[in-house]
Amino acid sequence: MSRIAGLRPRVGGLRPRAPGFVALGLGALALVTFPYWSRDWESSRYATTVLRDILVFAILALSLDLLMGYVGLPSLGHAAFFGAGAYAAAIASQRLETEALFVTLPAGVLVATLLALGIGLFAVRASGIFFLMLTLAFAQMVFSFAFQATDITGGSNGFAGVRRPELFGISFSAAEELYVLVAVSFLATAFVLWRITRSPYGRTLVAIRENERRMRALGYDTRAIKLSAFALAGALAGLAGALSAYSLRFVSANDAGIGTSITAFVMVLIGGAGTLAGPAVGAAVVILIERVLNSYIPFSQTVLGVVFVVFVLAARQGVVGAARTAWARARG
Amino acid sequence: MIDVRDLHRSFGGVTALDGVTLAVAEGERRAIIGPNGAGKTTLFNILTGELAPTGGTVRLAGEDVTGRRTFELARRGLARMYQRNELFDPLTARENVALALTAKAGPYRFGGIPADEARAADELLERVGLAGAGATPARALSHGQRRQLELAVALATAPRVLLLDEPTAGMSPAETARIAELIASLARSLTLLVVEHDMDVVFRLADRITVLHEGKVIADGTPAQVRGDTLVNEVYLGKVIAE
Ligand SMILES: Nc1ncnc2c1ncn2[C@@H]1O[C@H](COP(=O)(O)OP(=O)(O)O)[C@@H](O)[C@H]1O
Ligand SMILES: [Mg+2]
Repeated sequence: MSRIAGLRPRVGGLRPRAPGFVALGLGALALVTFPYWSRDWESSRYATTVLRDILVFAILALSLDLLMGYVGLPSLGHAAFFGAGAYAAAIASQRLETEALFVTLPAGVLVATLLALGIGLFAVRASGIFFLMLTLAFAQMVFSFAFQATDITGGSNGFAGVRRPELFGISFSAAEELYVLVAVSFLATAFVLWRITRSPYGRTLVAIRENERRMRALGYDTRAIKLSAFALAGALAGLAGALSAYSLRFVSANDAGIGTSITAFVMVLIGGAGTLAGPAVGAAVVILIERVLNSYIPFSQTVLGVVFVVFVLAARQGVVGAARTAWARARG
Repeated sequence: MIDVRDLHRSFGGVTALDGVTLAVAEGERRAIIGPNGAGKTTLFNILTGELAPTGGTVRLAGEDVTGRRTFELARRGLARMYQRNELFDPLTARENVALALTAKAGPYRFGGIPADEARAADELLERVGLAGAGATPARALSHGQRRQLELAVALATAPRVLLLDEPTAGMSPAETARIAELIASLARSLTLLVVEHDMDVVFRLADRITVLHEGKVIADGTPAQVRGDTLVNEVYLGKVIAE
């Protein structure tokens, strides 16, 4: 077996992969410019909004997958960082009376990161179902705080009237420009995670998932490494939260609630944990069922539930995993 | 190099270690033998910091390291081959070794995987008899090959002290001979602690032998002294050799 693997010519260098990169680049360009080239469509504005929300949740799901799929830490409290990022960006804009993207976006990411460091310090000591329960409990604390701290967050009324950002004179207040900001953020997140999964750091995360005991015996401080991944995932969830606040111009305690955590969790599972495309596909499937299908058929939430059950029972590896398996089988 | 004083450990009502005292000099090759359940693996688990003792102290190179965490002890040069393999099953043999080779460089590296890494890993794989298996996932290797990989991973951290827990367990006679030879060929500056049931391997390899029985040291001496010890023959050697 090893002999055969060794003999198979390695597809390396730029040339054989160049068509792939060109296609990926064109796809990225098409994604970012979607509102402009779809302008003549009857439903262009609606489609732009749906796509924007898919991409916001895709960032959230990608960040959660770093924990679930790579480190093997299934979190049911990831919305805490999404909510923290959303509130922090909104509150920074309000209190500092600024729309500057380079103030409000870092505020969202920073607060989410610090919160993740604080929660992670305790959470990464646990694993499996205990990690799940611990993250859930911490997120519920964040939710309760957001729900009750009316002076800061708007409490049960939510935080309305979030201002859309601007950067060096470019305003992102129009739907098209805001969409571009979200799409670029999504691509940047996907690129960063793609690099990470191919770096020594990313391999370390997978190795901890596979055998933490061996990693400790090799001299890796696995607790610190898991904490770093938890903070990184929190930072990216905070980015998604800030983008959500700009998009909806509204933040509610539910953004940090169990419903949002479960949505992200389901997106990762449906799309395929441990893959990069999976969470994005999962975000698309879930949002399309929730939003688009909802206007054609009743009980879209029930449909979503059924889809989820089918995936858990029949396709553990999610859409992307199942597609890969089918592709490998087709090639022999 | 390793200095263990009056080590105790119990699991609920079971006493696994009952006052073990043992000193291993730098560069010494020490075999630890005794029947199943004698406490050999428990002793290793305490040495690596994976288990806390209920009493006693462990010194490593003169320093009291009792209660230190496993990764800290590993960074001080302690490596271990487990009785039951602890590998990264879906990763290739090469990646298994590379993770050990680069442990000192640290995990926070976000660039590409260094190109020279594969060659260093393959050299080590070749040394343990796994030439050509670099691209094979650990889970696809045979039992004997997995033992060899387990040894390669332990060696890859360039340890000062190496703990081997039944290195030849489950191996064919040919594989046993080969791995015993490999262990014998390791640098003399390396301090070795070997738990092993194959007495040919033990008597060939060991400078000194410690015999554990029911959590106690019942004999400690040169191979010749231990072979002549009546108590040892009664509780252990007699049975092993009769088998
Ligand atoms: N984690 C554990 N929990 C409970 N009992 C254990 C545990 N580890 C070892 N023991 C018990 O301690 C004793 C010594 O076991 P061990 O150190 O594995 O022996 P050896 O390696 O010499 O065969 C045995 O009676 C075993 O059942
Ligand atoms: Mg044992």
